[in-house]
Amino acid sequence: MKKKRMWTLQFSTAAIVLIPAAVGINFLGKLFASVLKLPLWVDAIGTVLASMLAGPIVGAIVGIVNNIVYGFTTDPVSFVYAITQAAIGIAAGIMAYKGWISNVGKAIVLGLVVGFIAAIVSTPLNIIFWEGTTSNVWGDALFAIMLAKDMPLWLASFADSIVVDVPDKVVTVLLSFLIFKGLPKNVKLMYDNSGEIERL
Amino acid sequence: MSVLRLENLKYKYPASSRFALNDISFTVEKGEFVGIVGMNTAGKTTLCYALSGLVPHFFKGAYGGDVYIGDMDVLTHEISEITANVGLVFENPFSQMTGAKFTVYDEIAFGLENQGIPRDVMHERIRESMRLLDIEELQEKNPFSLSGGQMQRVAIASVIAMKPDVLILDEPTSQLDPEGTEEVFHVIEKLAQEGMTIIMAEQKMEKLAEYADRILLMHNGKLIEDGTPEEIFSRDDLNDFGVEPPVYAKIARTLGMRDDATGLYPISLTQMPANLDIQFAPEVESRLKEKDTAELIVRNLHFGYEKGQDVINGLNVSLQGEPIAIIGQNGAGKTTFVKLLKALLKPDAGEIELDGTLISKTTAAALASRIGLIFQNPNDQIFKNTVIDEVMFGPLNIGQSKEEALANANKMLTLVGLLEKADENPYDLSLAERKMVAMASILAMNTDVVIFDEPTIGQDSRGKAKVKEIIDLLYEQGKLVICILHDMDFVAETFGRTIIFSNGKMLFDGLTRTAFAQEEALRIARVEQPHITKLVRSLGYEQIVLKESEFLARSTAGN
Amino acid sequence: MNNMTLYVQRDSPVHRVDPLTKLLFVFISIASTYLVSDHLVVLGILLFTFAILLTGKVFKSILPVIGVSFLLIASIIIVQGFFHPDRTTVLFEVGPFSIYKEGFSIAFLITLRVVNMVSAFGVLILTTKPDDLVEALLQKGLSPRFGYVLLSVLQIIPQMVALTGKITDAQRARGMETEGGLWMRFKSFLPLLGPVVLNSLTETRERSIALEIRGFNRKGKRTFLNETEDYRYGIPLRIALVAFFITVIVWRVIS
Repeated sequence: MKKKRMWTLQFSTAAIVLIPAAVGINFLGKLFASVLKLPLWVDAIGTVLASMLAGPIVGAIVGIVNNIVYGFTTDPVSFVYAITQAAIGIAAGIMAYKGWISNVGKAIVLGLVVGFIAAIVSTPLNIIFWEGTTSNVWGDALFAIMLAKDMPLWLASFADSIVVDVPDKVVTVLLSFLIFKGLPKNVKLMYDNSGEIERL
Repeated sequence: MSVLRLENLKYKYPASSRFALNDISFTVEKGEFVGIVGMNTAGKTTLCYALSGLVPHFFKGAYGGDVYIGDMDVLTHEISEITANVGLVFENPFSQMTGAKFTVYDEIAFGLENQGIPRDVMHERIRESMRLLDIEELQEKNPFSLSGGQMQRVAIASVIAMKPDVLILDEPTSQLDPEGTEEVFHVIEKLAQEGMTIIMAEQKMEKLAEYADRILLMHNGKLIEDGTPEEIFSRDDLNDFGVEPPVYAKIARTLGMRDDATGLYPISLTQMPANLDIQFAPEVESRLKEKDTAELIVRNLHFGYEKGQDVINGLNVSLQGEPIAIIGQNGAGKTTFVKLLKALLKPDAGEIELDGTLISKTTAAALASRIGLIFQNPNDQIFKNTVIDEVMFGPLNIGQSKEEALANANKMLTLVGLLEKADENPYDLSLAERKMVAMASILAMNTDVVIFDEPTIGQDSRGKAKVKEIIDLLYEQGKLVICILHDMDFVAETFGRTIIFSNGKMLFDGLTRTAFAQEEALRIARVEQPHITKLVRSLGYEQIVLKESEFLARSTAGN
Repeated sequence: MNNMTLYVQRDSPVHRVDPLTKLLFVFISIASTYLVSDHLVVLGILLFTFAILLTGKVFKSILPVIGVSFLLIASIIIVQGFFHPDRTTVLFEVGPFSIYKEGFSIAFLITLRVVNMVSAFGVLILTTKPDDLVEALLQKGLSPRFGYVLLSVLQIIPQMVALTGKITDAQRARGMETEGGLWMRFKSFLPLLGPVVLNSLTETRERSIALEIRGFNRKGKRTFLNETEDYRYGIPLRIALVAFFITVIVWRVIS
């Protein structure tokens, strides 16, 4: 499915309506993961799906709105990470557009890339706002060990983020990929904005 | 000038080779009430989209012919210009709420704000349309906290407030319970009396026979006939189009009451001749063969979601043998009851026994292989990419082998008539078909007990016939079938035993015929008699009649 | 129904301040604590934020919200206290580990900043209805389409959450287990999330139609049903906030 333009700012009504739905999907992904006591967040499935369907800009908006809403309703700290979520949306959107969702292998690569980008964007935020921690027990343990071995703060913090983000994003992207492949035609067609009216 | 004019309209959805609309022409004059009938695949919804500009502007695709609204050509105008003149209301009340407004009052304002209507005019119009739709007392409520019937009236009010020349209603009650249906039809009648031009696609033929000036009969995207209700409902080939005539016409046909001069049947009570003398068949109740089925015994069952508020209030009943219908208004506790049977909820007191074993000792998942429960909304369960995978999910969960699960799934898809769609995505099917997929997915688990929650909602007459066939077959196979229903005509047609529920208690448990004679119990449970029963009563007979086949003959006093 | 927000209905002067001024306060309060690394000044800003919460009669409501950040704060104190790169002066020892004064001091500063961040947002979140904020932004020129997105999220998520019970019932009825080993639980994730995703994406079609019908895409001037609310003291408050912020920046530059 090729979209005509990747960077369009002319949002169709369908794209606008997709944003709240995708934020809701993020929310429920996180909810079900915690109900099932999974050791991951899986809280960006909606963001990734929206990027795959409607491109990087819609994906980025989903990411930002997601964290604004989450900040408003549960945890204000998540405002800080709105930028990370936006980066996830942009990365997934560009790569999906370039064909990195054609098979499982490529989807895993996409997941790795998205995870690394999330870590790259999160690291400066973590350093600026809280001197490098992520509040994930495993990640922060690694962070502490690296600091104890006198490695630089930025490297320790980056490693901390990698441990946290990469596995989570690989799983997130894979699940999104599986869902995306299984989407009904009538949903995919709606976001394929190359459609024209043919006069009979 | 006519309000609406179609000239040779043809339309194909994108990526489809089939004409969803094929060469349709008709006109609608101001103040007319036009009905659209046909089976679920006839093209009714697409026609409604075409009349409101969504086809082609929203859906794209291939478009031929012309549609004019007044003198506005649909093809060359934008949706927002078209919908200023045409109001559309569709099936699902929930998705018609914008989601961005927190009160009913503001919800109705949404369209007016977009149109740039001045503030004082807006307030005036909102109040006026709330009055027309009887929703004044809801104005401060959150739209999503309303019942389906209320939501649908808000949807109509939101459209009416924009002052369209025509109102298009696409099966506005198909997803509502009888109470909501009555609410909505009540206001539709009111709007028609106020002179509103209305076009309504609908499966409830009794209502169309009552309101419509004209009816369009559609099939496979073609307009078969554009005629008066009498003409349409007197057609001998109506069944070929999956349309069931209203009950009066059906009875009149059984009794051979065709008007010799016009060749038409009466379609409403007022058209029935006064001097009838109808003979009825003797009442035969028992089925061909009484089958042995699994047995559920319920003893002194109590359950409440909140402490001190019993939803199920001391039930004692034995469920066994022929298929059983459970009827009663919303909130009577019917769905809660079947969830208890299925051990999805734990009783506060009392016990439930399945063939002598207490089900409270097992989990819902373990019980899955004994009791199948088909929920009302198929969308709550469907998640696989293909129909066949979806149907195999349950069987594989309860330990059937892959081959066994596939064989069962194929068998059940054949039964519900969807085998040729086995490899399609369930969400590319219609809601009615998805209900059938959900049904097959439970039936393929081959359980001893099968419980249905509202299987007939949203089905056309063919779908309903299919459900009846399935219920009969399950009983043939010796399974216990329990069915929650709002559709009393279907209850009368299909079930020998009926339980009337109200406030978590049983008001009646016994023969369906006797159940529909319990006027007091029916009144408390807010359930109406089947159309056919009411009809016979209104003709002045005492009998409780449940089926057409119970009419034998008539002798008209004059002959 | 509207259980998505943390908004607390009270009658207070803070509730009556206009949302945009509060938004400006949030930004300036947080930015100031990160511009200044003097413990006392940051503490002062935090106490000021607390004072506003008290005036707004919502101080109690901020505590659980700070509680959500407990893990973050705990990890900052432990990790920085023990391992911060500038560790030289031992404050005290716990078994084989030493807590360093420098790390602890930094951890304390960050904790103050985090608590202030949460509390400053609290001033906005606890005393402002989200729809009032969006309405205020709309009247300042936020695109109505984006306004729609923000408001509908708040309505749609509770609707989606309400679905979860039904879906869980439906899948358990088909023999799916939600408890057991990790793989078992992981396998249940898609059957639970799948219907929500498919439903909400399919529903976007009908909702788009519903919006189109109501003129959502109409070009031309829109009107608003509700009049602009008349907030008092908006301008002087904003001037005061900006003046404070300029002082902080100047102070930071010269010191």
